[in-house]
Amino acid sequence: MSGLAKQLFQTVTFAAATLLLGTAPFRAQSTSLSSSPSPVYREVTDETGRSVRIPQPVRRIVSLAPSLTETVYALGLQDRLVGDTEFCDYPPDAQKKTKVGGAINPSLEQIAALHPDLVLVTKGLNRLETVHALDSLGISSYATDPHTVNDIIASSKKLANLLGVPDAGASVAAEMEHQLAALQQRLASSPAKRVLFVVWHQPLISVGKHTFIADALRYAGAVSIVDAEQDWPQVSLEEAARLQPDYLAFAASHSEASPPGLEALSTLPGWRIMEAVANRRYAVISDAVNRPAPRIVSAIEELARQLHPELFAEKPGNLNENSVKEKMEKEKTGKDKDEKTPPPLIQPPHLAFSLLSGALRGSDAVPGGRACVR
Amino acid sequence: MRPLTLRRLLLQCFALLVILFVVVVIAIKFGAVPVSLYALGRDLWNVLLHQRTNISSDYVLIIQNIRLPRILLGIMVGASLSVAGTSFQALLRNPLADPYVLGVSSGAGLGAILALIVEPHVTLSPVFAALLTPLGAFLGAAATVTVVYLLGRREGQIDSTTLLLGGVITASFISAIIMFLMSTLTGNLRGLSFWLMGDLSTPLQKSVYWFLGIGFLGASGAIYTTASDLNLLLAGEKEAMHLGVDVPRVRLVVYIAASLLTGLAVSVSGAIGYVGLIVPHVMRLIFGSDHRTLLPTAAIGGAIAVVFADTLARTVVAPNELAVGAVTAVVGAPLFIYLLRRRLA
Repeated sequence: MSGLAKQLFQTVTFAAATLLLGTAPFRAQSTSLSSSPSPVYREVTDETGRSVRIPQPVRRIVSLAPSLTETVYALGLQDRLVGDTEFCDYPPDAQKKTKVGGAINPSLEQIAALHPDLVLVTKGLNRLETVHALDSLGISSYATDPHTVNDIIASSKKLANLLGVPDAGASVAAEMEHQLAALQQRLASSPAKRVLFVVWHQPLISVGKHTFIADALRYAGAVSIVDAEQDWPQVSLEEAARLQPDYLAFAASHSEASPPGLEALSTLPGWRIMEAVANRRYAVISDAVNRPAPRIVSAIEELARQLHPELFAEKPGNLNENSVKEKMEKEKTGKDKDEKTPPPLIQPPHLAFSLLSGALRGSDAVPGGRACVR
Repeated sequence: MRPLTLRRLLLQCFALLVILFVVVVIAIKFGAVPVSLYALGRDLWNVLLHQRTNISSDYVLIIQNIRLPRILLGIMVGASLSVAGTSFQALLRNPLADPYVLGVSSGAGLGAILALIVEPHVTLSPVFAALLTPLGAFLGAAATVTVVYLLGRREGQIDSTTLLLGGVITASFISAIIMFLMSTLTGNLRGLSFWLMGDLSTPLQKSVYWFLGIGFLGASGAIYTTASDLNLLLAGEKEAMHLGVDVPRVRLVVYIAASLLTGLAVSVSGAIGYVGLIVPHVMRLIFGSDHRTLLPTAAIGGAIAVVFADTLARTVVAPNELAVGAVTAVVGAPLFIYLLRRRLA
């Protein structure tokens, strides 16, 4: 019998044996082989109320959401991150990690092969089935479920404690709180702008009131005109026209979710009935706003600057002098601004957006991104 | 029709089982994580010798805990769908009948979703709670079959075109209800859209495998007892009745059993289309249309088809995964058109 035939025969015999016997006898072994001799477990309740056992210390982390990847980097634990998703593109170093697939349909075997101590998931993005599957493989997972900006801060702290770096968590949280407080002080006198946050444009999808994005808008001196129970409600153009937002807000640079170029938007049938579209009152901010991670503070600040430019033009210095100056320069020089900034890493499909996101990338590394860039 | 001998039946099944084993080996070998044939062989050797300390942990994790359960699930789902398709084709005397085309898969999907919605609001013992989704899927499948059957009847006989149209309309109506439920309900229904495309990626509780296996053996066994009657039914319901077939009984048995098979398959894997259509056809072309050979060969053929399609789904865009239903649809839809045109010609 040749080698291949022999292996085939063995595989086949084994397959038959496994089908008959089930897989139970070896299950106990998988834990003893995959981790250190006597793992210490810590029992915690995650943000979805699940009670989970997590080996201590957590040395190998797989993240199944871009926001969690960013949080791990913000906590300075990037060396422990052994795998993430194909959407984890920030910071750029995260793109070099082993990819386990998308957030919705990751490859279980790729995750298992990385022998993680802990898999991080978030309820808003990952599927419950993935968590169940990890459970059945004996892989610990921890789920976050932030619905407000405060939740994001608390979530980062909890995660830091869980991963054994409470100090890093406290400093990330303090930094976020400090920036938000400064922003609130600045915005206090100004009435909130009414904003339509466009998640997707065809059909028009916006954000519901229980999402962290709606909360982020509040911090930016804005209020979402959509007041839906559902997280990602589809909004009719008629309804949008009836509510007449002051501004339309977009998250740029996420190539999958990019609306068409802003120039084209007003030519789309029906959109011009919104005065904000007819008058091109758009706010385009970093897609960090879509990610419940520390960097969202920088997106909030960007949005605040675009919605309330007068508050930022008057007295530079309080928040971050450099970035304000940079911002003012940009406003003066108009299109020339793009020449100074590095090109975007991933070229979005539409020119208008690539220009804008290029500009944003340049500025967003300064204020809120500091905690993340290491 | 050639006379059936046990020897020939066993030989045919054996040949197909060999192909299934080869496909299973391929499915074990390939995946997002590369596994060398040498490492695989060494681990298998150690497993056979019960030298557990020599088995690599990757083997246990990836082959044994992820790939094998998934292959096993694919085998059971494929066999169930294929036997259900064969039965529907015989019973409705329509070669284009298939759980997916007839809307039965959608009906089972709706039943399963309703069960998922009801589940948090009722208190059940854990054992019964695990069976709630399969039960909902079965009821949905059975109800849809009844509706489609009634729609397809004309003057007491089944009319092919009316039946297919009835199935298509029912399927789209049910899909609309599912879309409505998904867009109005909050909570964890996001996974459903993936599931509705057909998905084998989620490992299941061990008890579910037993439940599936026993359900499959029971239901296909029941169908197999009517195999000779199904042969006669091909001539027409009246003709079969004249030849002494208890048509209402056969119809009842096959309906319930085929709905159960569809419900079981859909409840664990979503709607994997076209397997119940293509596989019986291919088997009919190769082995003839005697249901005594067609049913077992279609079962094994269905297992081969789904395991193979799922291997493609796992590997083509690795480490991402396609829905296995997308793979079967890409192959199945053109074949469906071909069969339809050949029938019209």
